[in-house]
Amino acid sequence: MVYFLQEYFFNCFTRSASIILLSLSLLLPQLSNAAIPQKHEDFPQGVSAINPGSELWREVRQRDSAVTGISQVKGVETGVLINSRGGQWARFRIENPVKYAPMVLGVVFLVLVLFYVLRGKVGIEGGLSGQMVKRFTEYECIVHWTLAIVFLFLAVTGLILLVGRPLLIPLFGKEIFSLIASASKEGHNLFGPIFLVSLLMMLFSFVKRNIYEKGDLAWLLKGGGFIGDGHVSGGFFNMGEKTWYWIVILIGLVISISGLVLVSPNFGQGRLVMEISHLVHVFGAIILTAISIGHMYMGSIGTEGSLEGMKSGYVDINWVEAHHDRWAKECHENEMVISAEEYARLQGSKPDTAMEKEA
Amino acid sequence: MIEYLIDGPLWYFALVVFCIGVLWQLASIVFARSKTDLSVARGSATGGAWRNVFSRFVPHHEIAPQIRIQVVAGYLFHLGLFALLFFAAPHVLFLEENLLGFGWTPMPHWAFIVSAQFAFLGLIMLWLRRVVNPVSRLISTLDDHVAAILTFVVMLTGCFALLEGSTALRLLHRFTVEIWLIYFPFSTLMHTFTFLPSRAFTGAWFGRRGIDA
Ligand code: HEM
Repeated sequence: MVYFLQEYFFNCFTRSASIILLSLSLLLPQLSNAAIPQKHEDFPQGVSAINPGSELWREVRQRDSAVTGISQVKGVETGVLINSRGGQWARFRIENPVKYAPMVLGVVFLVLVLFYVLRGKVGIEGGLSGQMVKRFTEYECIVHWTLAIVFLFLAVTGLILLVGRPLLIPLFGKEIFSLIASASKEGHNLFGPIFLVSLLMMLFSFVKRNIYEKGDLAWLLKGGGFIGDGHVSGGFFNMGEKTWYWIVILIGLVISISGLVLVSPNFGQGRLVMEISHLVHVFGAIILTAISIGHMYMGSIGTEGSLEGMKSGYVDINWVEAHHDRWAKECHENEMVISAEEYARLQGSKPDTAMEKEA
Repeated sequence: MIEYLIDGPLWYFALVVFCIGVLWQLASIVFARSKTDLSVARGSATGGAWRNVFSRFVPHHEIAPQIRIQVVAGYLFHLGLFALLFFAAPHVLFLEENLLGFGWTPMPHWAFIVSAQFAFLGLIMLWLRRVVNPVSRLISTLDDHVAAILTFVVMLTGCFALLEGSTALRLLHRFTVEIWLIYFPFSTLMHTFTFLPSRAFTGAWFGRRGIDA
């Protein structure tokens, strides 16, 4: 990757002199004919000579020579006759993200399956009590699910664009894949900015409670409960959740901005910026998708009682004690705990059904 | 064959169901017998009707804080959908060639995309609010969900066909539009046509009784 980027910058900055590419291309057929090595009966092995055609092509492709093309056409990089870096970029894409993305996501998935089989759902000591505490407002739940829906749509369509060729063509054939790819591209481009908007809504509505504080380090040292006796201290959000939040915000912003650079090529950005944006976009998306699989697992089947918080905005007080003891204290002090009956009334259902569902 | 069906008979069938269904529903409202109001009028029914039609565009200040999400998402969705439905270039062209025989200046492509983004964001948030809010969830019927999801699917297939380079994707969009048109008169989607008369009716009733609401 570093070598690749070095190459990029090197190529860009060494092009300082100018030659008219058009005249070169007109000369090309004659010169390249002369460049074909001719075998002669007196020299059965052939004659070793520098191929003038290769020199010419090097100039045309503006590889490592100091050449800049000139064109009547006004626009970004219109003087580039053949973009050699494009080939490098395409190869890098196929040899790296296209190859490794399915592996990374597959490994994360398998690890979670294994984890679930070995450890099962992370339960709550003493089970659920049925007494609930308000954790998220309606707006916060809506913002979370909007972000999640839009993200998942982008993840699926993005992966189709990235690895659809090798994975889907064998399944559906070229014609159907071309439809899926075209639909995915349009869908991906249209939903990208919606992701940025929902990300900003998430940023503003959750930021206050995600600032790191003193007790968070202890959570990290205990590996989030996986090291030691298993009981870790946490505030409203624990260290793991806060870190997830900042990963979503920061990588999400990087993906969004690089995506905007890609989706609007008419703002004067050249190929280099586009190619780098593309790689940043792809790597950011793969990392975020991989971690989001872990988050989705932890937020649903992985942890007893978590999902209720994002569904109804309320969580069981025993869940709070188990995962957020410092916030639990606040809940008791401020008399925020409501009975199962009150919760059922607020949700418009009978208390026992709410409890049964959780169990 | 499928192309012929979607572009031909199914399209006409959907149009007929839509037009007759909507007219039937509206007529049944207009001709529904309501009891004659024998009370002495305390104010103008017409004035009340007009007032209510417009005043309901802005939420009442007492409930505004509780319904801010619906108001913002509602406007995003409805204005976005209206703009892209009637001012996106492919729609204007379609209406001109297939229905009206005349067209108008469409909006630029970027505005079409932004309208669609507003509409998608608004619709997703509106539907989420419906399922997250316990009261909305309780009073929502299957029809409410089907109407929202069907509209979303129509918008999504439209988005998939944006490149305008594939007959199959265009047909998919047109097919979902036809299903939507057929479903329309029998569902809450009818509020497109009934929201103004219903506001006027309530407003007239209020106006006659001198209720300032
Ligand atoms: C079906 C998939 C998902 C489920 C079941 C899920 C579940 C949850 C739950 C239960 C919480 C609350 C945790 C708590 O109470 O402390 C949460 C928080 C959160 N989720 Fe998700 N989620 C899903 C998908 C996503 C996706 C795709 C993203 C973004 C890419 C996302 C971003 C977040 C963020 C940023 C938070 C807040 C964390 C914090 O503020 O510290 N979620 N999720």
